[in-house]
Parts: sequence; C-alpha cells; structure tokens
Amino acid sequence: MLLDPRYVWLRQLAAVAVLLAVWEAAGRADMLNPMYAPNPSRVGAALVDLFADGRIWPHLDATFTAALGGLALGIAVGIILGVVAALVPAIAELIEPVMSVLNAIPRVILAPLFVIWLGIGLASKVALSFILVAVLIFFTVFSGIRQVDRRLVERVITLGGSRWSLVRHVYLPSVAAWVLGNLKIAVGFAFTGACVGEFVAATRGLGYLLSFAQSTYNAALMFALIFLVLVVVLLIFAIAGYLEKYLLRWN
Amino acid sequence: MKLRVRDLTISYGSEPVLEGASLAVDYGRFVSLVGPSGSGKSSLLRALIGLQRPLSGTIETIARSQIGILFQDDALLPWKTARDNVALGLTFKGMERGKALAEAEAWLERLDLAGFGDRFPRHLSGGQRKRVALAQVLAMKPELILMDEPFASLDAIVGARIVRDVVALVERQEISVLLVTHDLEEAISLSDEVYLLSQGPRAHITQHYAVSIPRPRDPVHSRTHPAFAPLYERLWADLSSEVDNRAEAA
Repeated sequence: MLLDPRYVWLRQLAAVAVLLAVWEAAGRADMLNPMYAPNPSRVGAALVDLFADGRIWPHLDATFTAALGGLALGIAVGIILGVVAALVPAIAELIEPVMSVLNAIPRVILAPLFVIWLGIGLASKVALSFILVAVLIFFTVFSGIRQVDRRLVERVITLGGSRWSLVRHVYLPSVAAWVLGNLKIAVGFAFTGACVGEFVAATRGLGYLLSFAQSTYNAALMFALIFLVLVVVLLIFAIAGYLEKYLLRWN
Repeated sequence: MKLRVRDLTISYGSEPVLEGASLAVDYGRFVSLVGPSGSGKSSLLRALIGLQRPLSGTIETIARSQIGILFQDDALLPWKTARDNVALGLTFKGMERGKALAEAEAWLERLDLAGFGDRFPRHLSGGQRKRVALAQVLAMKPELILMDEPFASLDAIVGARIVRDVVALVERQEISVLLVTHDLEEAISLSDEVYLLSQGPRAHITQHYAVSIPRPRDPVHSRTHPAFAPLYERLWADLSSEVDNRAEAA
C-alpha cells in the first residue's frame, strides 16, 4: 500500500493531515504568531461561525452569481466571436488585435474601470469574470477552428454535406471539444474575476469578506475564506471534469 | 461511360504537376492509375471530386451523389459512432435518420462489423475503421468509387482480407472503380485496365494496359495467374525506363 498507485489519494490525505497536526502543535506551543498563522482549529472555528450564524449565504450567493454569470456570458460570447472571426477573415482583422491586447495584459487591472462604469454592484463583477473567460474561450475557438482537421472537412464534403452540415457535424463538435477542454481553466478565471471585483469595491461576496478580514487583521477568517473558495472551485472542477469526461467520451 | 478525363493539367505553381492526362472508366470496370510519388495521382483524384481546380482539360462524369470516395486516411468523424458515421452520407441525401441508421447497421453487418455500431472510431482497430469507411461509401450505393491508396496503411493480412471483400462487393454490384496507387502488384491483381503515369513534375500518362485475368477474381490468387508476371514485368520496365529517362534529363 505504501507505493501502490491506487492509494495515492490516501497518501496525499495523510500528508495533509500530518501538516495540519504539525501546524496545530506548533501553534499551541507558541511557535507561530496567530496574527499571521492561526491554528487550524481556529480557522475551522471561524469557518463554522460563518455558516452557523448564516451570514455567509448572501456572500456566497453574490460570488456565485457573478462567477457563473460571467462564465456563461464569457463562454457564449467567446464561442460566437471565435466562430465568426475564424470563418470571416474581415471580422478576424478587427477582433483579433483587440483580443490579443486583452490577452496580453493582466485583465484584472480592468476591475477599477468596471467599478466606475458599472458601479459597485453585481454588474462590475460579472463584467470582470466575463472578460477573463471570453478572451480565453475566443482564442480556444478561433485557433481551434483554423486548425480543424481538413480531412474531416473534405470527408463531409465528399459525402455530399452542405456548408451547414460542415458547421453542424465538424465545426460545432470540434468547438465543443475545445471549450470543454478549457472549461476548468474558465471556471478558475470566472471565480478570479468575481473575487477580485469584490475585493476592489463591493458590499457583498467572498472577495468583500476577504477584504474585510484583511482590514481587521483577522487571519483566521481569511484562511477560512480561502479554504471555502478552494472547496467551491474544486467542487465545480469535479463537475466540469465529469461533464468533460461524459461529453468527450469519444476521445 | 462513368468517367472520362481529357487533357487534364493540374498545377500548384508555375510548373504543372500533371499535364495533359486523359483516361476513361467504363461501366463496371476496375481501372488503376499507377505512378511514382509526386506524379500527381492524388491531385488528379482530388480534381475529379472538385477538391482541386484543374488548370485546363475536361472531366465528364456521373452525378456527384453517385460517386464514392475512399481515401488513404479513413477520416471518420471521431465524435460519431461507427453507425452514425456510416449513416452520415445517407442523411445528407435526405434519408430519414431512423432509416439511415438501420441501413448503416445492415452495411456494418455486411462488412463483418456486427456489434461494433456503438463504438467510436478511437475504439476500433485500423482494419475496422477502414471497414467503417468502406461501409460509409458503399451505403451510398455509388456507381463509381474513387480510391486513393486506401489499403496502404493496413498490415498485410488485414489489408488482403479487406481488399478481397471490396473486390467481391464491387464485382457483385458492378461498380466502376478508379484506384490510384503506386503499388504495381495491387494495380494488376485488382484491375481490368491500368494507366501508367510518368514521374512528375509535368507527369503524363505514358501507357494503357489491359489486364486479362478473368473475373470473379481473388486478389491474392490472381497474382499467380499466368497473365500476371508478364504484365508486371512490362509495367515495371516501362516505369523504370520512364524514371531513368527523367533522371538523365535532369
């Protein structure tokens, strides 16, 4: 079992447990400053408090709405722009340079601009998530369609397929495969956008709570929130992974 | 006549890869076009199905929907099952999907692929994928099949079995075939007529041979027929001298 690849998860779990135990013991022995590194038990207590008094729910609701809204919009717009740009060179000439610039800069620097334009409510967070996801999906689809296997295109043509048949039987399934292959990254980007947006200016959300914890030097709350975001994203990763495995079962 | 090509010239740049090629495929005839690499064999085939625009010349053939094409790569859609791949061309023809799937299943069974209909191409062997591609073409009930070295990627035994089945089906249904290949043995053992292409660029058809091996034919056993060896030697000598002449001219 020590080196059996089937039990790798058990060994990883054991390693985390040992790390937490050492951390807890070091904290109790006053070897760690609780202002910087609170004991895991205190982090756990802060996490339980968040749920016990119910104040976490509006924040989770705000972050999820912003992230999933930006994700859905970003995927839809990224696919549409990517397909159009790949199939119509005149449009590619206009869109690609803009997307390349947006891709080159760290797009989270747009967060203050979105706050000015859209206010400190939900819209500015959705916009940041959207722009992070849309650029990723645009390039996934745009470069994907340009690299579509010519043999498949010719096969459909020689079987008598129309232009619409090509879109339906070759381009769309290819696009779906590329988007699903990047879904996990897109989910990460969407939550990054939501949290960073809330961090900059908000009245609700996990990013706002993180900002609050930072301003009050509440390290236990900060660790609890980081842990919460981690669990949420891992959960969505698992769902995205399942979707990918099911929908790309031909691969 | 299922296909007649006159003075076809194909060019990718300033110099034609193929020049003034003329050939014909009559009803129920198996015709091969043999030539060395770079002689424009595949380009000619692509021109016949509209994937390559010729520089000059004429192509007279039957309706596009009555022509089947079998490439070297099976090029099956990876996200569709074997059955869906076979049914694809039938639905393009306007057949109702349920009927097309039933027809596809029947063709898979005919080509020894019963029970494989639900599998995706990735989960099939090279020989099985080739059979699916063949079913895809035959399901369309073509009157003419154009083949571009379709058996080259298969190992000897699998290839021989598929070739035998193809020949039997083509003979039974009196389908006309134009096979493009660089394999002289394959060309002679399968064909009624063989056209020989010279070395490219500016490749042209240099010879036209009739193969007098009777049908129905077993492609493996036809190699032991008395007419096989003399024709093979003639073809080989003509091809070698063509390549030698070109090398000297260069």
